[in-house]
Amino acid sequence: MKRIKLTIDGKKITARPGTMLLAAALSRGIWIPNLCFIPEAELPFGGCRLCWVEVEGEKDPVTACSRPVREGMAVRTRGQRAERLRKSAFELLLSRHHLDCRNCPKNKNCGLQEIAGRCGYPLKPGRFAREIPGLPVDDSHPKIIYDPNRCVLCGKCVWVCQTKREGVLDFSRRGLACRISTFADRPLGETRCGGCRQCVDICPVGALVRKK
Amino acid sequence: MDKFVVLNPEEELRLIREEILPGFQPPEPRFLLPVLHEIQARLRYLPLEGLRAVSEYLGLSAAAVWGVATFYPQFRFAPPGQNQVRVCLGTTCHIKGGEAILESWERELKIKTDETTPDRLFSLERVACVGCCSLAPIMTVNDSIVGKSSPISVKGEILKAKTVRGPKTQTNSNDQ
Amino acid sequence: MKKNNNSGSQKAWEQLQKRTNREISGKPVPEIRLGTATCGRASGALETLAAFREEITRSAPAARLLEVGCVGHCYAEPIAVVANPGFPPILYGPVTPGVARRLVRDFLGEGDPCLEFALGAVEENEKIPSVFELPRFRMEKKIILEHAGWIDPARGEEYLLRGGYRGLFRALGMDPRDVIREVKAAGLRGLGGAGFPAGEKWEICRAFPGKTKYVVGNGDEGDPGAFMDRALLESDPFSVLEGMTIAGYAVGSHRGFLYVRAEYPLALERARTAMESLRGLGLLGKNILNSGFDFEVELARGAGAFICGESTALAAALEGKRGMPRVRPPELAEKGLWGKPTLLNNLKTLAAAARILDQGSPWFRSLGTSRSKGTAVFSLAGKIHNTGLIEVPLGTTLREVVDTAGGGVPKKKALKAVQIGGPSGGCLPAGLADTPVDFDSLKEAGSIMGSGGMVILDEDDCMVRTARFFLDFIQKESCGKCAPCRIGTYQMLKILDGLTRGKGSDAEMKILEELALEVQQGSLCGLGKTAPNPVLSTLRYFREEYEAHYREGRCPARSCRDLIAFYIIPEKCSRACEVCVGACPVEAIAAGAKGIKVIDQEKCVKCGSCYQDCPIEFQAVIKVSPPKTGGK
Repeated sequence: MKRIKLTIDGKKITARPGTMLLAAALSRGIWIPNLCFIPEAELPFGGCRLCWVEVEGEKDPVTACSRPVREGMAVRTRGQRAERLRKSAFELLLSRHHLDCRNCPKNKNCGLQEIAGRCGYPLKPGRFAREIPGLPVDDSHPKIIYDPNRCVLCGKCVWVCQTKREGVLDFSRRGLACRISTFADRPLGETRCGGCRQCVDICPVGALVRKK
Repeated sequence: MDKFVVLNPEEELRLIREEILPGFQPPEPRFLLPVLHEIQARLRYLPLEGLRAVSEYLGLSAAAVWGVATFYPQFRFAPPGQNQVRVCLGTTCHIKGGEAILESWERELKIKTDETTPDRLFSLERVACVGCCSLAPIMTVNDSIVGKSSPISVKGEILKAKTVRGPKTQTNSNDQ
Repeated sequence: MKKNNNSGSQKAWEQLQKRTNREISGKPVPEIRLGTATCGRASGALETLAAFREEITRSAPAARLLEVGCVGHCYAEPIAVVANPGFPPILYGPVTPGVARRLVRDFLGEGDPCLEFALGAVEENEKIPSVFELPRFRMEKKIILEHAGWIDPARGEEYLLRGGYRGLFRALGMDPRDVIREVKAAGLRGLGGAGFPAGEKWEICRAFPGKTKYVVGNGDEGDPGAFMDRALLESDPFSVLEGMTIAGYAVGSHRGFLYVRAEYPLALERARTAMESLRGLGLLGKNILNSGFDFEVELARGAGAFICGESTALAAALEGKRGMPRVRPPELAEKGLWGKPTLLNNLKTLAAAARILDQGSPWFRSLGTSRSKGTAVFSLAGKIHNTGLIEVPLGTTLREVVDTAGGGVPKKKALKAVQIGGPSGGCLPAGLADTPVDFDSLKEAGSIMGSGGMVILDEDDCMVRTARFFLDFIQKESCGKCAPCRIGTYQMLKILDGLTRGKGSDAEMKILEELALEVQQGSLCGLGKTAPNPVLSTLRYFREEYEAHYREGRCPARSCRDLIAFYIIPEKCSRACEVCVGACPVEAIAAGAKGIKVIDQEKCVKCGSCYQDCPIEFQAVIKVSPPKTGGK
């Protein structure tokens, strides 16, 4: 199949037709901020709203995860309009995130820290007051600790658990109360979870971590 | 006269397994919402162990069933009171004082929205819109829709519900 | 009769016509049709029904009593049409149980049409003034609601007799591509909100290859303040089902889903009954009208989530999943239900398509404006005399809708704004009352057509509180998938909450405006993208009202409860009257010296009952903002 030619930040790349911009960029080493993107997933999740880019000739920024590549497309990853939406989503996510990097096992290996560092954002909720969910930390499992107050609801753990493993985790509730939980919010240690820890490996933040 | 039967947990589970689930053939995930509706229509709520049975029957993970059941506001996980009161807070009811009516119920029943009175006679919910806007403000008591309601009319509705349905105890059907 | 080149269906059609004519006609008997849709029931239609039944048994046993839907005049519910041989059919309302008994006794029994209870005759005639002399009837143009409230929604025969299913019959004789061409030529646009051209949507779905395709009727009417779909399904489910069948034929689908909100139990029940009736008539199921075309519809019930009005969320719900929208592309037309091409239309769009196939695209094009063809159905509610459902040609101005069809704002209050399109729409100020109601003009003015909820607001309604109400609604209904909608609307709500309590600052106002634009652009689906509209439109037209709240602690409409107080003016209070005492739910009002009533400000919950109920000749209760201290 003929490959599609496009440019991202002036760099020429090619991609298979049907590829999403974000996948094309990441595979060529061009980093676009993201938290919820899973390369193998059939459809992009599209929940974190961080991968904004600007496409030449289009008025509004688009999320790179959900925009298929097009021949001759010229993409800018750091335009002002894209930055505005990205920073807004980032601040909003931080306003619901238990920000305590020093005591977080993911310190220095965290998706939020990476975005802040590379985009030059302060690691703060900016215009918004922080208000974390205040849910109990679940350390009932021998191998995994789950802290819902650090969760950004990217859904990666749900995807990995539901498609590859027992399906112990899923989203529950909705809106601001939406969270990742087990059946009837039972502690992880009382579920069928065998402790494969793929959820821990895929979690971009400190919500699901290895128990030492 | 009660449409609903009050059962113990084993009976509930038996009813779900033997009477409700076999009605959905062949078992497919798409039946999840109809199954949940049916269980709630029969038992007035969704018992947790019942949800587990549903997940096994439809071939879904229990967490996924929990995720769906908690997503949709129609479903509840504890039996409601004998009289179900819903106050409409749609746009028109809002501008015509629906909130004052909801507060009136809260005050008279001494409970908050989404709670049930200790004697299990009433439970109180809010509803986004019943689509009866031209008769706002609306409240519904069990199956009847009360249009053009007012904060004071709440007292009358409570009295009516108590006299019509009576302060029965919950165990009236255990002898069946 | 229209020619059909499929001789099999031609014959089946003729037989069906004969059969319905035979069943329906016969010796004329007195007939009463009572509207028992939900709105009728909320006004006591079931009590009226019982009274009719009882009195008919007693004094007019030959008469027939039928339950029908809603003719749209909710303000006059319960409504009945009485057809007494020798008289034109007459529309009555409100028909209380007492009126019902009199109509049977005096009209059916004695030939006195009791005109004091009548709205008018529903046919032009010599004897009795007809309803078509009323301005509302004159300006309405009923296409989608043509049969609503007139036919028995349980009997397909009645729909057939009024010309139903001619559209499908004609379509079955055409090439499916020509059916699509006809809908395109008509210029029909989706009546669910966005106004996407319906014919184009059908064409796109048809173009995707696949043996299995689905048609979905979206009856998840979640906008608070909207009840068009409910009334349509309770009154005339046939039009919707005919439209779905035509759509199925056009795109190459044999299976449809009719998705209806769980909050509409009667609509669900009536749709189910109608489907059974149609199966019995050979108009649904296998080999429809002997044409070789199969189409089956399954009724699906929502579960209380507003988000399921969004098409990808609705598809998820039908598959038994959480109703979370997904990114697009792929569109549903390409990968919809279970990955198959799926056509999703609003119920009103489907009903309109059935009429277009019957009467042809030129007829439909003759209604409306250059870019918005046909009619729009609105539910009129709020501060307006004649609440109910109206259907008017697109391009009718807001003023005509409010003043002519709606009879204006009651209690001599001034019209302040018209809220259109629910939580996705906006508030247009009275100054824009000459805006024509069509897709493009409304969008330009900062609202949307939406699904057709129209709530009239008067001088007593606060725009900040209205914006807060919608944001609160959206915030509760957000699915939680994407950050801007899940958290952004919450942050906006917190600011609006403060404003209605008199708290806020210029800095917070700036954040509110910035965030509104960010949520609008940044959200994943239509719910989030349109969520800021009520805030943005009120900021655009009523900014000074926002400012009064946080700068002066004053609610100019005297509506926000933290910023008002109620007082009784002693000079105006009548000693003999105790209406306010009876209306107060918390016993905060008592008669003081000389029988003059006084409100105990400590006890008062500011529900406004006393203010509302104080007889108009006294008007002794006043509302003040900001609340005075000292309590005089």
